[in-house]
Amino acid sequence: GHLDGHLMVLGKVVMAAWDLSVAVEDLGADAPPITVSVTSDLHIGGVILKLVEKSQVKRDWSDHALWWEQKQQWLLRTAWTLEKCGIQADAGLIFMPQHKPLRLGLPNGLNLRLRVCFSGPVFRTVLGICKMLNIRRPEELSLLRPVEEKKKKKDKDLSEELYDLTEVPLTSGTHYDIIMSPSTNHMSRPCLYNGMPAHFADSPKTEKVYKMLSVSQPAPPPEAIAKLYRPASVVDKAHIHSRWLDSSRSLMQQGVQENDRLWLRFKYYCFHDLEPKYDAVRLTQMYEQARWAVLLEDIDCTEEEMLLFGALQYHINKLSLSEPQTMTSSPAMDDLDSALQCLEVKLDGADSSPQDMLLIPTACEAVITVYFCLRPKRLTLKGYKQYWFKFKDASISYYKSREESLGEPIQQINLKGCEAAPDVNIVGQKFCIKLLIPAPEGMNEVYLRCENEEQYSRWMAACRLASKGKSLADSSFQSEVQSIRSFLAMQQTNPNTHNTHTDDSTSINTHSLVSPRYSKKYKAKQLTPRILEAYQNVAQLSLTDALLRFLQIWQALPDFGISFVVVRFKGSRKDEVLGIAPNRLIRIDLGVGEVVKTWRYNNMRQWNVNWDIRQVAIEFDGNVNIAFSCVTADCKIVHEFIGGYIFMSTRSREQSNTLNEELFHKLTGGHEAL
Amino acid sequence: MDDIDSMFSDLLGEMDLLTQSLGYEMEPSEMSSSSQRENNFSIGFTDLNESLNELEDHDLDALMADLGSDLAETEERLNATKTGHVHTQQHKFGYCTQQQNVQAPISLSQMSSLASSSSSSSLPPEPPKLLPPGEAEAQAKTDKIKLALEKLKEAKVKKLVVKVMMSDGSSKTLMVDERQTVRDVLDNLFEKTHCDSSMDWSLCETNPELQTERAFEDHEYLVEPLSAWTRDSKNKIIFLLRPNKYLFFKDPQIFYLWKKDQKFMNEMKESHKELLLKENFDGPSLIVPDLEGLLYLREDGKKSWKRRYFLLRASGIYYVPKGKTKTSRDLACFIQFDKVNIYTTTDYKQKYKAPTDFCFILKHPQIQKESQYIRFLCCDDEHTLSLWVNSIRVAKYGATLYKNYQMAVRRVSTISSTLHLTSLPASSPSTPSTVHRANGHTPQEDLPEPHPDFIPPPPPGWGSGV
Repeated sequence: GHLDGHLMVLGKVVMAAWDLSVAVEDLGADAPPITVSVTSDLHIGGVILKLVEKSQVKRDWSDHALWWEQKQQWLLRTAWTLEKCGIQADAGLIFMPQHKPLRLGLPNGLNLRLRVCFSGPVFRTVLGICKMLNIRRPEELSLLRPVEEKKKKKDKDLSEELYDLTEVPLTSGTHYDIIMSPSTNHMSRPCLYNGMPAHFADSPKTEKVYKMLSVSQPAPPPEAIAKLYRPASVVDKAHIHSRWLDSSRSLMQQGVQENDRLWLRFKYYCFHDLEPKYDAVRLTQMYEQARWAVLLEDIDCTEEEMLLFGALQYHINKLSLSEPQTMTSSPAMDDLDSALQCLEVKLDGADSSPQDMLLIPTACEAVITVYFCLRPKRLTLKGYKQYWFKFKDASISYYKSREESLGEPIQQINLKGCEAAPDVNIVGQKFCIKLLIPAPEGMNEVYLRCENEEQYSRWMAACRLASKGKSLADSSFQSEVQSIRSFLAMQQTNPNTHNTHTDDSTSINTHSLVSPRYSKKYKAKQLTPRILEAYQNVAQLSLTDALLRFLQIWQALPDFGISFVVVRFKGSRKDEVLGIAPNRLIRIDLGVGEVVKTWRYNNMRQWNVNWDIRQVAIEFDGNVNIAFSCVTADCKIVHEFIGGYIFMSTRSREQSNTLNEELFHKLTGGHEAL
Repeated sequence: MDDIDSMFSDLLGEMDLLTQSLGYEMEPSEMSSSSQRENNFSIGFTDLNESLNELEDHDLDALMADLGSDLAETEERLNATKTGHVHTQQHKFGYCTQQQNVQAPISLSQMSSLASSSSSSSLPPEPPKLLPPGEAEAQAKTDKIKLALEKLKEAKVKKLVVKVMMSDGSSKTLMVDERQTVRDVLDNLFEKTHCDSSMDWSLCETNPELQTERAFEDHEYLVEPLSAWTRDSKNKIIFLLRPNKYLFFKDPQIFYLWKKDQKFMNEMKESHKELLLKENFDGPSLIVPDLEGLLYLREDGKKSWKRRYFLLRASGIYYVPKGKTKTSRDLACFIQFDKVNIYTTTDYKQKYKAPTDFCFILKHPQIQKESQYIRFLCCDDEHTLSLWVNSIRVAKYGATLYKNYQMAVRRVSTISSTLHLTSLPASSPSTPSTVHRANGHTPQEDLPEPHPDFIPPPPPGWGSGV
């Protein structure tokens, strides 16, 4: 200021000293504040220095800063003077660490205790958390206040197991690091040691936590799913979005206290640059968020889609339990080079002519008897006849008897393109395979009745492979047999009584794989075969591919990625719902529940917020203007959603390693940013 | 030409042998045609001779030329081996056949199918340049492996001789092997016909019995759908322009923003179209247009058509059951796309008493005749039909269709820039170099089949802007 200058000219500091008392959090709540003598031209850094001296505590104070309780703001500019900050003797300041522990709920239900930044904008806090947890593209995630679950008191202690990561040393990425270089490689591929970031590889305890982050969690018991909160309407869903924290302000400023609970969730549903190789945690958590959205009916889907989701969960569960290493090995050899390398190894190993290599078996024979019936006109089971059956390549042949099986078959049926459905009743010991075989005249129905479970499993597996044009020699045959067996086992152990059998890796309650609606609708013996049917189309996927497939189907749902807010449009007299999607805004009539209007962002000229009357106004091409006030969420949240999605669309593959934080704040900050 | 003749008679001899070895007859049961391949084996071979006789002269010439170029290719390789540069490869023709409909001379589509299996020994090629010993070894090994891979693929290749009808009523005969995609065959036809190489050119299958039509998608292996035809099939393959083929990608707004009015559609900027494609195809998941509306459904077994409200989702076609709402969980699944193809129809108003002629059906490709397993739907107008048919294609084939389109765009620009300068090398190693011999004109220079590793040098004038 000019006044200071004037005083300096006199060559003498004539400012009066006054007492400033500051509470030091580390000394405890009961400890009296420390009083230091200051002048108004003393800068914040100087105050801190005096404080530390006077406290006579020797420790690392570098993370500490001054928090101005009354004004709810941090004094982070250490070069500013007290006068410039507007601080007088009555200011109640607290000296406290900027990083504090927080209880963080992850999409997979895991609860971590983590040291996070309470002083920077939440956007940056999330960057820090994601760096710690090895989640790339942190701008897609944010923090929200959890839904208070209406639990009975006795339940309360069971659920919350907390994994403490507050002691995990971070090699870099303290608050100052990030400030100094805002565009550090948050997106770049991390260096992994032993398949995990260095700071997790430190102790067996943290290694275990990393595994829990990067491998999907086992299916929850259906009772637990039924207990969790499920939004019952669009309005319920809208309320969830009122809980997002403001990305432009710090945790302290938003009233979050040390050890409070917050959720970390994917907020913007446009997932950029997903690379399974580097995104183990990101992919897993994304899957978990999607899975819970489906299970808790946060997103609507059809019965067929639910069954497919169920089948994929079953598959992912099984793979996660059996081979947790699959994530790190590349799932598919997608280029010729690697295929060649693979062949090369084989050649080296065999050290023989290429001729040997050509002797890969293409046909394999299995001879099993089955009872066989043709039901041309929906007759009763009278038509069953016993024949001698042979399975070869993708065809079955049948003969009058075993003796005649060396000659010509009565008939040979190619199963390629057929549908093989189970018709099984374990209690009744009925193991039928219903084959629908396409033919020029239509589909032929053939029922193969097997003698027992074992025979059924093998023949069913063979039929399934054959329908895809694969022979018994295919490497997947054994795993196919195995999965059919385990599904049969599920049907045996599941009926009605929920005897809590030990959680053997293969026995999963199929009711855990669908939302409560379908749990109620179907008994296990109805549900299991249908999930098995869907399962046959995904059984051969690798873990990574199965996760990706789950996400793809989720993303293809019509309601995917829409965040709802209840709003009141200007000139309208009733509440309506605004859906905010990655590429468009949707106006939904609450009464009818139907989309009334859609506006796409790429037709948007400008949008702005009148912070005084808290109204969002948007102008689209062709002189279309809309304005609305927000009922269920603050208009800053809506503003941030729109700006956030526009920010997400500016990301490109070319600059995949830089995060333009400034632009994010410009687009989402509102008046705070100015 | 003597060589070719003798080879051809060898070939016929082998066919006969094979017929004899396949002596058993299928029992005429209702499943007799469930396996097309087996069926074809059991077909008498006297038909083939007949069909060869029935072949029009220039078709026979073309077939001979195709076989000849295979022979030339073999010879080429043999010669090359002597100089130590390329590998030996001998073709021995095993045989199976698919016969044709000889009654209607223009409807011939498949005449015979050849399963050529190669048995050969290979010599490691000499390195083309002097390389440091380690590198040379590595190079030799890579070559060896490549050859081994190639042979794995080469074994038992099924070939079909296919007659393709032109829109002017003439026809072309091609040899197609099972590794050739529709895209490859189209490229082949571009060369043979000197057409304008628009990306709307399609190969289309018609089934006169069902009165249906389906354009094959570019990524399909042509031999595969043809194998589903019955022995007495009257089906045809037609080479024609279909403006609908890539309409979805040229005007995505018609489908993704189908609710908007005509004026909005027409004023759509190119950049916005591109953005739409990017949003719906370039993401991790493909987005299918959210079509919905009233369609007529032909009920199983009944002759009446019932109006129902249908919705398209990535997972299939659904309808709203009576007394239910449009919410996802209430929807009933009508059909899923894994095992069926979509076909457009002609004159169903007359054939099935449909409310309009804008019908489409969904059926397993094997089904060739009327059956309760065929699903019939009928739209109010042509525009609605186009919306559903093209959107269902996208739901079924997903990103593959978009890739087909992108490749077609590239191909069109390549072809138009290189036309008359050079013939493109065939994309698959066994694709015979084409010989154009229409109406007795002198054939073009027959280029030897390039070695699999061979990368063609850019043609003269490439990219020079001339």
